[in-house]
Amino acid sequence: MNNVDPALVKGLAIGLGAIGPAIGVGLIGSAAVGAIGRNPEMQGRILSTAFVMAGLVDAVLAFVLLIVFTT
Amino acid sequence: MVNFLFGLETEPLSAQKIFSIGGLGITNAMFFAVITAAFTVGILLVAAQYSQLHPKSRLAYLFELLVDFIWGIAISTFGNRKTALKHLPLLATLFTFILIGNLTGSGLLPGVGTVVVHSGGLTEPLLRPFTTDLNATLAMAILTIGLVQFYAIRQLGLRGHIKHYFASPYWNPMNIFVGLNEVFGELLRIVTLSMRLFGVIYAGEVLIAAVNQLAGNFGWLAMVPTVLMELFFSIIQAYVFMMLSATYLSVALGDEHTGTPEKAKA
Repeated sequence: MNNVDPALVKGLAIGLGAIGPAIGVGLIGSAAVGAIGRNPEMQGRILSTAFVMAGLVDAVLAFVLLIVFTT
Repeated sequence: MVNFLFGLETEPLSAQKIFSIGGLGITNAMFFAVITAAFTVGILLVAAQYSQLHPKSRLAYLFELLVDFIWGIAISTFGNRKTALKHLPLLATLFTFILIGNLTGSGLLPGVGTVVVHSGGLTEPLLRPFTTDLNATLAMAILTIGLVQFYAIRQLGLRGHIKHYFASPYWNPMNIFVGLNEVFGELLRIVTLSMRLFGVIYAGEVLIAAVNQLAGNFGWLAMVPTVLMELFFSIIQAYVFMMLSATYLSVALGDEHTGTPEKAKA
């Protein structure tokens, strides 16, 4: 374990850390599109809630980037 | 002081000290935060000056749109006009201050991070967006959660507020456990609120710098999508901070609202 390139670890951290938020944003998007399809007159409220949720999920990816970029 | 990522220069995690007043070290984030706050207050004062029933000034019109937007959020979160009007100033302050602070950091403003000052043999940037400093976001999160506790105690009294955490048979071990979990969750909100804002904005800054250096001579072109993404995240994060503050407030203030309590868990 001593001769692992740190760049490999950082790349793996970004790649693996992006999986969770990517799935999360995908689920939010699919749920929002489904909800708008069901009742289109609520589009504004659904979209604003979806953006808030996307912001919450993106924070996880931001933590990964933060740790990778600062160590 | 610079960090190195894959051999690239990036901004260090902590804000750099640029000068000190009577032993108190002033960092570049603090310096720029004061400028940002003064600018925010100034532009809002000018907008308020020109605000009228049919605004002719475009600035006043834009700020009325903004306040109307926050007013709509406050009404839909608190459920009644009186409570919403009471807490509108806090929400509007949080949103405008964080938004302007974030936008200054997205590579939009020339001079931020590139104007340097020499202090103590080190070369440090003079201006650093205040939301890329954990101290600033932590201070805002502590202030927000402290205000939530303050308003809740003023509205419900100390006993009523404690009843929010500990359900009615106090001696029941299960209720004590749940209550302690709730109190811990309240403390954790400070951490999540501050870390979310700081993480997104700081990682964005570093991402822009890294993309710029990785692309070499075409850095200016490669930065464009990253900067656009950062613009989007800046607005979203300011909105999320305000929205979460409003939700925490409406949950803590009791049960005469129509807010959605399950959103407050995030």
